[in-house]
Amino acid sequence: MTNFYPFPRRGPMRTIFIVGLAVLGVFGLVPAVGVLVISFTDIRGLPNLPIHWIGIDNYLAFFSRAHVGDNLNAIKNTLVFAIVSTVVQILAALGIALLFNQKLRGRNVYRAIVFMPTVLGVTVIGLIWSLIFNPAGGPASSVLKWFGTNSAFFGDPKLALALVIFVQIWSILGVSVVIFLAGLQAIPEDVQEAASIDGATAWQRLRLVTIPMLAPSITANVLLGIVNALQSYQLAYVLTGPNNHATQLLSLEIYVQGFGGTPGAVVSQSQGYASAISIVQFVIVGVISVASLLYLRKREARL
Amino acid sequence: MATKKLRPRATVRRGTAVLAAVSALAILAGCSATSDSGSSSDSGTPSGTLQVLVSSADASDAAFRAINKSFEAKYPKVKVVFSTISNDKYPAAESSRLTAGNVDVLVAKPVQVPSYAKDSEADDARLAESGSFIDLTKQSFMKNYTPSVLSSIAFKGKQYTIPTGISYETGVYYNKDIFKKYGIDVPTTWSEFEKVADTLKSDGVTPLGIGGKDSWPAGLPMLAAVQGQYPTTADKEGVAKNLWNQKTKLTDAKPQAILDTTEKVFGYAQQNFAGVPYSATPGAFAAGQYAMTPDGTWNYPTIASAVASKFDIGYFPLPTSDTAANNQYLTGKVELRLAAASSTKNKTAALAYLKFFSDPTNYKTFVKLSGFAPAEPNIPSGDFLDSISQYTKKFVPAWDQIWVANTKAGNAALFPFNYVSLTPMGTDSAKAAAQQAQQDWAAAF
Repeated sequence: MTNFYPFPRRGPMRTIFIVGLAVLGVFGLVPAVGVLVISFTDIRGLPNLPIHWIGIDNYLAFFSRAHVGDNLNAIKNTLVFAIVSTVVQILAALGIALLFNQKLRGRNVYRAIVFMPTVLGVTVIGLIWSLIFNPAGGPASSVLKWFGTNSAFFGDPKLALALVIFVQIWSILGVSVVIFLAGLQAIPEDVQEAASIDGATAWQRLRLVTIPMLAPSITANVLLGIVNALQSYQLAYVLTGPNNHATQLLSLEIYVQGFGGTPGAVVSQSQGYASAISIVQFVIVGVISVASLLYLRKREARL
Repeated sequence: MATKKLRPRATVRRGTAVLAAVSALAILAGCSATSDSGSSSDSGTPSGTLQVLVSSADASDAAFRAINKSFEAKYPKVKVVFSTISNDKYPAAESSRLTAGNVDVLVAKPVQVPSYAKDSEADDARLAESGSFIDLTKQSFMKNYTPSVLSSIAFKGKQYTIPTGISYETGVYYNKDIFKKYGIDVPTTWSEFEKVADTLKSDGVTPLGIGGKDSWPAGLPMLAAVQGQYPTTADKEGVAKNLWNQKTKLTDAKPQAILDTTEKVFGYAQQNFAGVPYSATPGAFAAGQYAMTPDGTWNYPTIASAVASKFDIGYFPLPTSDTAANNQYLTGKVELRLAAASSTKNKTAALAYLKFFSDPTNYKTFVKLSGFAPAEPNIPSGDFLDSISQYTKKFVPAWDQIWVANTKAGNAALFPFNYVSLTPMGTDSAKAAAQQAQQDWAAAF
């Protein structure tokens, strides 16, 4: 009898493993190391141009007196975006999953509705919410009008980031709900029953039985949420443009530096500098996700 | 339980290696250029595929499509593959298509930067410098273009691009019916403009409509305000140089006045304009929601079709100086410039395309559909452009055609007149915005 289920032998298992590793290596590891290398150059991604090794100049530029203010603003926005969107998303998803786990009439329809935005592309989402939050006659502006007020929505520098976070949560809530639902359905009925018989109230059952047993799902959701939010820029880009101070995110800056133009100005771009920002972002994402993973695993073990 | 040995282990290992290599090759092959561009010489009858890449705008896209169609009719063996990419994504498309070698004719804007701004050349200038574009200086079709326009786009004495037209960007469209109704004349000085705007306001009409969500449309009044302070090209070149040499500060009286004026213009715009997309302004202007809208002449076809026959449209330079003579010209830019990539595999067709485009008969069609002012002499420019000919007698390049941004400076000094920080686009007063810009500018040196 072999121990390589579902494979009859070690060989096929290794084959598949090696192919997987090769694909990951070629398309994951090699580009990642490549980004680190080109962050020390002035590469522009254009043909016929010489590439110079410029040491840590790109990093010095990132932290230079002229750029550090803009970059700290981007880092601050990125952290606010990641923390707020992850926390709110987890809480909302948990609530919705608990609700949809009840024996509700038509709950599959509700589940489908909550999951639906996940299927939509970023541009479609951007278009939908740009129309809803159009200050000149969009539905949101009509609602505010009933209360005798108005707003520029995405054009309001104090509100723009909050609205982008809201749309981000709306668009990815479905995935978290599905993960939580899977977790909830894995909790045996008899544990809940035993708790009820022992006289636990609904709140106590939630706090002392459901949530501890959901710990692996919470870990998965928090990590996915943080990593996704720290790297996400697409919504900020389609909803508020590439160079909006109020919604400038680190990953958006990478995109604009590396690939985007600045409308209305002729600016010299460098993909080397974009790569340096990527590495800074990688360090931030790495530190935060490893720290949260360690913390959550420790908590899981304790529960 | 006995299991049957399927195959020897070494075979498996070899098979694995082969499989990995084949799959990697297959995937990489998919990434490489698959260009089928016919002949590679530059003689004979054009044939094969011609890849044309432009940055998009509704009117010019339609104009290019018309040219492509008649080009294909003239050269039936050529198939034009036309790609149109939005402005903000264009640089990425341009660099990837040039690198992959699957573009023949493309929009490019090599700008020769003055010596004081060394190292701040944008990508297109570097591409021209490194020989990525075909030198068109001696091509016969260059003679079709207006010499003064050509000289304004020359790069180190050579021509790498053909100008498809000229657009003016420092004027405002106005609703002639509203002006008539309130007995308003076209203003020629800043104080007259303020009076017009105040009159409209007191009559309950929103003076200006700006699509601020896209950011750059709010920059058009800033470009007009530069004209008020620095009316001639020499003035503009002078202040650009002095800023780079740090003899002029962004907080000095004139640069500060530019932001003050821009701030006042913002004050006349519709409520919450910072959240309104550029694409929504022609419709709202046509619906009579505001009396004027600052926009470029490139958008005339869109505005005219939105307005249809509801009212008459006029266009005048936004007067930002109290001396009328300083406001007499619209300032503008040479529009989409077409270059031929030197990596083209179909030089014959690429040059034939540029020649065909430059031919006055075909160029006339392009100008008519694109709404651009002609860059060739003796081409009729349409009723609208004729109606503003008094403002365009002399071609005055706009500020954004002269200014070279410094990558070492912070974002607030990008334009460098920091209109994006002004309330409601940002959160600053004109004074604070200028201070922020100066701080970001000085940090570069």
